Amino acid sequence: MIYLLAGNPNVGKSTFFNFMTQSHVHVGNYSGVTVEKRVHHIKNYEGANLVDLPGTYNVSPSSEDEGVVTYSLLNESYSGIINIIDSTHLKRNLHLTVQLLELGVPTLLVFNLKDALRANGYVVDVEKISNKLRCNAISLSARERNKEDQISISNELKNLRIYKSIELNYHQHIKWGIQRIHDLLRYDTVQVKKKWLALQILEGNEGIFKFLDVTKAEKIRAVVKEVEEKIIEDDVALSLKGAIFNTRREFINDLVDESMIKIEDKEHSKYFNQRIDRILTHPAWGIPIFFAIMLGVYQISFGKFLGVGALFTSFFEYFWDEILVNYLGQGLEFIGVSGFAYGLVIDGIMAGVGGILVFLPQIVVLFFMLALLEGTGYMARVAIVMDRFLSKFGFNGKSIVPMITGFGCTVPAIMATRTIVDKKERMLTILTLPFISCSARLPIYVIFISIFFDKYRAFVMLGIYILGIMITLISAKLLSLSFFKGTGSKFLLEVPPYRIPQFRTIAYQALEKAKRFVKKAGTYILVGSIILWLMSNIGPAGINIETKDSFLSIIAGFVSPIFIPLGFGNWQATSSLFSGFLAKEIVVSSLNILYMGDIAAGFTTLSALTYVVFASLYVPCISTVATIRSETNSRKWTLFSIAYPFVVAYIVALVIRLIFMIFI
Amino acid sequence: MNITDLKRNDKATIVSLRNIDKRFMERLMDLGIYDSAPVILLNTLAYDNLYIIEVDDVEICLRKEDALNIEVRK
Repeated sequence: MIYLLAGNPNVGKSTFFNFMTQSHVHVGNYSGVTVEKRVHHIKNYEGANLVDLPGTYNVSPSSEDEGVVTYSLLNESYSGIINIIDSTHLKRNLHLTVQLLELGVPTLLVFNLKDALRANGYVVDVEKISNKLRCNAISLSARERNKEDQISISNELKNLRIYKSIELNYHQHIKWGIQRIHDLLRYDTVQVKKKWLALQILEGNEGIFKFLDVTKAEKIRAVVKEVEEKIIEDDVALSLKGAIFNTRREFINDLVDESMIKIEDKEHSKYFNQRIDRILTHPAWGIPIFFAIMLGVYQISFGKFLGVGALFTSFFEYFWDEILVNYLGQGLEFIGVSGFAYGLVIDGIMAGVGGILVFLPQIVVLFFMLALLEGTGYMARVAIVMDRFLSKFGFNGKSIVPMITGFGCTVPAIMATRTIVDKKERMLTILTLPFISCSARLPIYVIFISIFFDKYRAFVMLGIYILGIMITLISAKLLSLSFFKGTGSKFLLEVPPYRIPQFRTIAYQALEKAKRFVKKAGTYILVGSIILWLMSNIGPAGINIETKDSFLSIIAGFVSPIFIPLGFGNWQATSSLFSGFLAKEIVVSSLNILYMGDIAAGFTTLSALTYVVFASLYVPCISTVATIRSETNSRKWTLFSIAYPFVVAYIVALVIRLIFMIFI
Repeated sequence: MNITDLKRNDKATIVSLRNIDKRFMERLMDLGIYDSAPVILLNTLAYDNLYIIEVDDVEICLRKEDALNIEVRK
């Protein structure tokens, strides 16, 4: 038995999903789109699984994520739908509900956030709604994780059956259109009602055409056009979609009026929001408050003082180097593995994978803090505060969340762009994010600053970060003037109410993101570390050679002359940059190995500066490139994301070198 | 009159939407902004460049440029 879980964004769908299900079954991909599909077992219901659909306002999609819903309804096999509804926003949520009920599939309505609604002084008369909509319904607060609620939902699902689907009284023109399209579809075999399909087509659900043959699609489009013209001609609404929308809204308004029961006079929470909003989004203080909060977040994640993340990292480092690697090494020696194979495991794989895993605790702490800010509703205010500034560069206000994440790691930052509805704005954000200095680049700065710029520590560090931000903004501006015209022109944001986030949900979200990060980054780094180690330990002469005779040094020696203008045209510096393509933190360990622990000998102060600048901006790491590939689904833009930063890094480093050579 | 002509906590009804392209219109509709929808102006932010309105219990933040295109009637 499979049930689909559908609902609007931000209604507590994830909370409900975790509350209803236990063990993990699998995470797959929906075909054609890059949205991960979560399927888990339902508790207290043997053999039943729940599929988590992306949050959507409509069955017909207005973003890539939302296309999944149409796809699933048409192609997945399922026994029923659970529609989760935010009781405090019934009027908006019920639009999706109506569309699902029109489908005529067994549906269970779950009115979530019962407690929040109660705090506003209202309750939902579930029985009334259930009778009127002819479906099963239940109300609860998923975050209370009440065991009885869980059992009663499982029981409801076991008894779920099809009632007669609801039919709204649409305008006669629309009814005519439905009939016409229905006739055109009469020989098609689909698993849903054709009248429903017809209505969805009239509404503009383009996703459906993918499953119809082309000749028919043209005839159907002609019908849609005719109905649209009649609707506008007779002044029924501003558009066909609007006419359907308005009929639904009337139906919903009646329903809500009948079933919302006021039990107590309470001041609505929005007045509370208004007061806080005026402070947090204040034209003058809003941005300083945001910076102060972010400084705190980064301090806790990466800093020394108050540094929870750094503390965990040092534990982890100890565990990895002193215990795991140590015992593994002894174990290998014990069973007689030495030389080449020993080096591959200990110096290749364990060092390479350890290099990135060491950052994991800090990144988990960052994810946790960001999920916390998101959960309280503050991130939406940040988008508001930053919108005017960011839109000047072609970004969307919502780009701020990926950008903030980007200081931790670019991979989850790119994934976080999914909330940006506009495709161009999303692409623009994805392509410029790698310039924001991720935490993996930090070791490079730290090493070079401590060797060459000890007196100007803070200044150089800040300078590198500001340079990264400036390049991000300038690149975005250039892209918005060339390939992505018109970006930054639209902004529309649903402002969520302030909520006290739940520890469980936040922790779950952070761990889930961390898991994805490890999976994505880990795989590439594992393979990459092996290749890199082999390349630097095998040469034309065979194995067991000096590094300078390896394939790596030969290739790097061949490429290195192009870096002569930048001041570091030698094979050691170049091969370290190569290895940085696997993961930026490897640059440092690689330099250490190749310069035999004496990096200071390999650079002048100026070439150290250009090297740091170049390393902070050049080609993103392989995990990032792979993420860009899967998120953009475009080979062209993936290549761009490799080539463009290289060119930019080269130019910026060259300019800095020239300036210093001429003036200093 | 349009949304920018409202005062804080004024209630009105949306009459029409002008100069709004199809895709943006759909996004507005997802949030319930459409003709005959009741709207309340809750707040203005960033020196009156952003408008926070309420439609069907949903609080939405709009730019002034877009708020100007939404005609309302008190």
